[in-house]
Amino acid sequence: MKNIIKQKVIYIVGLVLLVVGCTNDLDVTVKDPNALLVDDFYSTPESYKEGLAGVYGNLALTGASGAGSSNISGLDAGTSQYGRSFWNLQELTTDEVKWSWENDPGLKGLNNNTWTSDNVVIRGFFGRCMTQVAFVNEYLRQTTDAKLDSRGVSAELRAEIKTYRAEVRFLRALAYYHLMDLFGKAGFVTENDPVGAYQSPQYDRSQLFAFVESELEAILPDLKDARQNEYARADKAAAWMVLAKIYLNAEVFIGQNKYDQCLTYCKNIIDAGFTLSPVYANNFNADNDSNSAKTEIIFPIVSDGVVTQNYGPTTVMVNAQVGSLEQNGADFGVAGWAGGLRVTKQFSETMLNGNYDNDDRNTIISKDRTIEMTSMDNYGTGYITAKWSNKTSKGVNGSATEIVDTDFPMFRLADVYLMYAEAVLRGASGGSLVTAKDYINLLRSRANNTKFITVSDLNLDLILNERMVELYGEAHRRQDLIRFGKFTGGTYNWSWKGSTVSGIGISDIYKVFPIPRASIAANPNLKQNTGY
Amino acid sequence: MMNRYRKRGGFFNLKQHFFMGLFLCFSIASFGQKLKVSGIVTDATVGGSIPGVSVIIKSSNLGTTTDLDGKYQIEVNQNDVLVFSYMGYQKAEMVAKSGTINISLVEDTQKLDEVVVIGYGSTKIKDATGSVTSVTSKDFNKGNIVTPENLLAGRVAGLSITTGGEPGSGSTIRIRGGASLGASNDPLIVINGLPVDNNTIGGSRSILSSINPNDIESFSVLKDASATAIYGSRASNGVIIITLKKGTKTFSATLDMNMSVSTLANKVDVFSGDQLRNLISERNPSLLLLLGTANTDWQKEIYRNSVSSNINVSANGMLFDKIPSRVSFGRTLQNGLLLTSEFERNTGSVSINPSLFDDHLKISVNANASLEKNRFAKGVQGVALTFDPTQPVYDANSPFGGYFQYYKDNNDGIINKSDLTERAPLNPVAELLQRNDRSEVKRIYGNVKLDYKLHFFPELSAVLNVGMDKNSADGFSIVSDKNPLSQADGRIIGSYSEYTNDQSNYLLDGYLAYKKEFGILNLDATAGYSYQKFTDERYKSNELLDDGVDSAPVLSINPDLVLIGFFGRTNLSFYDKYLFTFSYRRDGTSRFSNANRWGNFPAAAFAWKIKEDLFSESKSLSNLKLRLGWGVTGQQDIGQANLDLYMSRYTKGLPTSQYIFGNTVTTIAIPQFRNEDLKWEETTTYNAGLDFGFFNDRLTATVEGFYKESKDLLANAAISDGSNFSNSGFQNIGDFTSKGIEFSIGADIFKNQKGFNWNANFNSTFIKTKINSLALGQDQLVGGIGNGAGSTTQIHRVGYTPYSFYVYKQIYNENGKPIEGAYADLNGDNIINDADLYIHHNGMPTVTMGFASNMNYKNIDLSFNMRASLGNYVYNAANSSRAQYNLLKNSSVVSNLPTSVLDTNFQSNEAVLLSDYYIENASFLKMDNVSIGYTFEDIFNARSSIRLSASVQNVFTITKYSGLDPEVFENGIDNSITPRPRTFLVGANMKF
Repeated sequence: MKNIIKQKVIYIVGLVLLVVGCTNDLDVTVKDPNALLVDDFYSTPESYKEGLAGVYGNLALTGASGAGSSNISGLDAGTSQYGRSFWNLQELTTDEVKWSWENDPGLKGLNNNTWTSDNVVIRGFFGRCMTQVAFVNEYLRQTTDAKLDSRGVSAELRAEIKTYRAEVRFLRALAYYHLMDLFGKAGFVTENDPVGAYQSPQYDRSQLFAFVESELEAILPDLKDARQNEYARADKAAAWMVLAKIYLNAEVFIGQNKYDQCLTYCKNIIDAGFTLSPVYANNFNADNDSNSAKTEIIFPIVSDGVVTQNYGPTTVMVNAQVGSLEQNGADFGVAGWAGGLRVTKQFSETMLNGNYDNDDRNTIISKDRTIEMTSMDNYGTGYITAKWSNKTSKGVNGSATEIVDTDFPMFRLADVYLMYAEAVLRGASGGSLVTAKDYINLLRSRANNTKFITVSDLNLDLILNERMVELYGEAHRRQDLIRFGKFTGGTYNWSWKGSTVSGIGISDIYKVFPIPRASIAANPNLKQNTGY
Repeated sequence: MMNRYRKRGGFFNLKQHFFMGLFLCFSIASFGQKLKVSGIVTDATVGGSIPGVSVIIKSSNLGTTTDLDGKYQIEVNQNDVLVFSYMGYQKAEMVAKSGTINISLVEDTQKLDEVVVIGYGSTKIKDATGSVTSVTSKDFNKGNIVTPENLLAGRVAGLSITTGGEPGSGSTIRIRGGASLGASNDPLIVINGLPVDNNTIGGSRSILSSINPNDIESFSVLKDASATAIYGSRASNGVIIITLKKGTKTFSATLDMNMSVSTLANKVDVFSGDQLRNLISERNPSLLLLLGTANTDWQKEIYRNSVSSNINVSANGMLFDKIPSRVSFGRTLQNGLLLTSEFERNTGSVSINPSLFDDHLKISVNANASLEKNRFAKGVQGVALTFDPTQPVYDANSPFGGYFQYYKDNNDGIINKSDLTERAPLNPVAELLQRNDRSEVKRIYGNVKLDYKLHFFPELSAVLNVGMDKNSADGFSIVSDKNPLSQADGRIIGSYSEYTNDQSNYLLDGYLAYKKEFGILNLDATAGYSYQKFTDERYKSNELLDDGVDSAPVLSINPDLVLIGFFGRTNLSFYDKYLFTFSYRRDGTSRFSNANRWGNFPAAAFAWKIKEDLFSESKSLSNLKLRLGWGVTGQQDIGQANLDLYMSRYTKGLPTSQYIFGNTVTTIAIPQFRNEDLKWEETTTYNAGLDFGFFNDRLTATVEGFYKESKDLLANAAISDGSNFSNSGFQNIGDFTSKGIEFSIGADIFKNQKGFNWNANFNSTFIKTKINSLALGQDQLVGGIGNGAGSTTQIHRVGYTPYSFYVYKQIYNENGKPIEGAYADLNGDNIINDADLYIHHNGMPTVTMGFASNMNYKNIDLSFNMRASLGNYVYNAANSSRAQYNLLKNSSVVSNLPTSVLDTNFQSNEAVLLSDYYIENASFLKMDNVSIGYTFEDIFNARSSIRLSASVQNVFTITKYSGLDPEVFENGIDNSITPRPRTFLVGANMKF
């Protein structure tokens, strides 16, 4: 009996000792089929392109598990999409278009130019751009020569990875370009900084300008030649485009005239063989990745109703341009959200000033509507438009009824033509007013508008109008209005500017957005923009 | 899995045990040739008779109990000794003799000898140093109790339980308000030593819904750190220890049955069909064309009176004449108010408690199996409020199964999405009846405990407790092809999807306990080790009727969660007057990196039995004890999705989240947020309590105060942009304090005076919480509401209560009516924007109270429970999101509105959504239950009885709150509009 008991005690004590040894069990590992530890992930050759797709994907996708997932906090997942939040900031704050559903957080402040540093859309875009920077830095850390050596990556693949690295650096420069434009400053983080809660130093606008400029110059040799890369991947033309943009806006950004440089890069792009799509609308259709717009689009954000689901700018515009009275979603191949977007009175007046009556770019629907959006919650006030579509150029519906197949044309040739014309008008050397006039007429002619201009018609006001008519809804407007001195102050007012129906002047502080309060709290090196 | 399940909880075993029990029963009755003894048992001081006294023949398991008049009758052998015992009285023994033995029992001032279960052991109430409240089965709430936690709702100061209206619905349980902002605030629930996973498995109603309340013997609610710190890393939110019923030596069997009818207690006031027609003719005649001719009350259509039933049998006794055993079987069928909502629970429980080697080795085996079956009703409560009441439920011409729907046949020969009216709501009745969303959850849980008192060293015992809890859920959802639900490509073909979820939880505890008296010193020490591992795996098929990539199945597996702890506790008692407790736990978690995963959690407590020291002569004062406690506890539960935040992980995109280069769809992979510095959240608690007892503890009271300080709060907060793969993530930020006072009093107001007994207890809790710091002082917007993409109405801000409402200050006109969209410009910059939001009340009550009363007069008993909550405010999202005239037109159809729109005349939802007008005082007084019963004695034999009872659940609510129910979830936001039923119940409890 005693023996049995003793054995039991030994057994119990032994068991206790055994489990004490089990503290190693605290080292658990990932088990999910879609989750991998970093070195496991980069153990296959295809991972490098998947990692590249992850960085590009951040332009379109908000998370890894569907359109409702997000790796950005503080706002609704769909609204946190790169292109969407960029679009919200560049469009809703201007004389183009307003968002009817003002109970969506942050949107009313954008509609009315009364945003604060708590605005969630502003926080979302700042965070999305900076997360893009973090993704790029991580990709660069994982593709250093040392890492590739240690993983035994083949020479052939290493050659490709060299291009990939240049492309992600382009995407980082693009993000810093956006931050420079919208916020005038940002925390500067590179692949040499640690992951965690690193409080990066603040770069002001001129530092960011210098970085974007030098970084793009540095990667140009490694980028593929214009139009030689796969669709949706950046090439030299995409880098030239960002350079042309920063030079065009250099007076705003750094107080220097850089129109000559702008013109140089515009010409680079034009000479690279891009051509206008014969049909204007093809640029905004469900098959704009494969129809004739393919030769016009320089750099898109991809969207797909099945495999790249997101609530990005094209899904938003196609669904929200559907009219509350018209219920015309079927025309665009979607069920539609009806009533979300209406244009300002000033937008409609420009479109209807007589120059664009017969012009494919004028898609205004005005029947039974008032020209002024007298009430934000009466969706029947204000005109609506029909520029975007989830139907293909052949009239076939896209692959789903809400999320569209239409890619967002971030940069396209028509913009370059107008930039060329503007740079020349603003005194750039190396171009000609005749070519400028021809480019504008090319755009009119492509839109089946027979009202051609002459050189004597060329002036900055015409350029600004022409830009609105051509590029409406493509997220250029705020930058354009600022460059033309019409965004702040009271010389030019539009519906709901400063929160009154007919518009009032607003302070110059609104030329840049505030740094989100949460971002300053998390990184005190960031200093708030004046006035916020 | 299936086999194992059947084997453990199978019917065969059960039947066997049941007959074993019956056999035991007959064996008792078959003794013969005995003396007949009868008599009456009375109270020595008051003189009244005492019913329910157990009269047992010493050294046997034979006996009886006294009836309601205190009388008993028993057959004995010569020289047998009778033992009379009753809770609260001293035992009496008497050698049996033929005839009458009347006996008076002396009240036991040592009532506090009752044992209360604490972490890794037990203690006597009188020796407890921490804040521990024990509620045993005799004090449980009565009536329609479906889930275990409702047995003690309102009974314990500092414990709040909020249960939803769905059948088998889970509860939000908070002890002293919780201690976290971003981590879990759920208390640790320990069943027979096994801490259970606080994550409800998908397909089940809640973590406790599969547990049969009838199998529960007692709850111990551990509130302060000196009591909870032995559970270390999981103890910050308090601990609830559930002890299941054990096998006993004497035979008994019970059969409980009840049936109930649930009715809709309250509806949201919306316009009737006729009222809406009038309203629209007045306000917006252009919409008249859209109206139908019916008068449908959609709330009435989606709800029903539902019948539910409940049956439990249990048998207790000696198995093979040696092993105390208990077996029980329970079956609960609950039908929800919503047409298709169903909950069914079948449980089987076996407990055997043999002792070996002269009681040196005590073995306790407890095995439970449950099968929970659910049918989930779609949440159509909101649609039912706004669906046009002028439209009928049925439409003979409708291609959608005869249900009215908004559509316009485009006559292309096929009904698909293009025939539906865009964005029109769907008929809520059809949404319920055309969907079949079911689940089956199988759960087995239990433990084996070996408690061995060493033969050669009897002061020392070694305890080994091994536990397991396995849940597996299977579910499916079928939508009829007559339902307007369409696939992504617009086809209407119905829908079918399946899911399975598996969770498991394994425990191994081993500890040594040492007890010895050294003269004036009483020592009780415990030290041990605990290992626990949780696993979680889920599979969902997604749409099976569509083979597109966006409906590909998804398997997700979380990393294991492993928790390892070393613990020790010493209780020292000097002169049986001065009590000290010291405890210490060192805990490791797999959730944090190697450098941060271990945490230390010490606690100390002191108690002084003042009565024994200073008032030992006092007659009226029977107890006075001071308790002081201090301790540090931890928290690491930030959810199943955050088990690996310290690792460098990449996630691959699902088939819907890929990118396209050229024509090639390319899988994306993105790095995930990473924080290698994550560590424990720590809460330090100070507690001081005074326990009183008067008149032999007929009146007892406790006053207790606490102060809690949580630091290094785990919260998902903004992180320096660009430094990580998100703009926010879990970090240890901020601290938070809460303080409170609890008061409880219990009394036997009448005791046995002419057969009348009345005992009542009352408790009250005042809690105040405040955020002391957040990361760099930054506010966090919280409290999502249904409207707008990601709208919030609450804020965490330094200096304020968490989840304070953050809204605009409404301006009113001279008639006291709110002016739409007019808000105070609080910062005076002439712009009304988010800088003018302000903090206005919060959802936390200032005071909560509970009152329970039990009375009986002879065979009749009456009991009721009430709860009150004062100073809690609610954001009425049911109104704010619906009660505006512009919403009459919902794209191309008409919507109904709550009639509260007549009070405001608000037009625009956008303009008023964040108005403080919608924040209402939601103080309430509720009677949860009233029940009345009658007990018939001596049915089959002296020990058998039947109690018939009738009760009403959710009897009444007194409140000024204008919404459906002032008791809401989500920290005071009334998003949920599932009504709690009023239930009428009849039942019978039989004892053998």
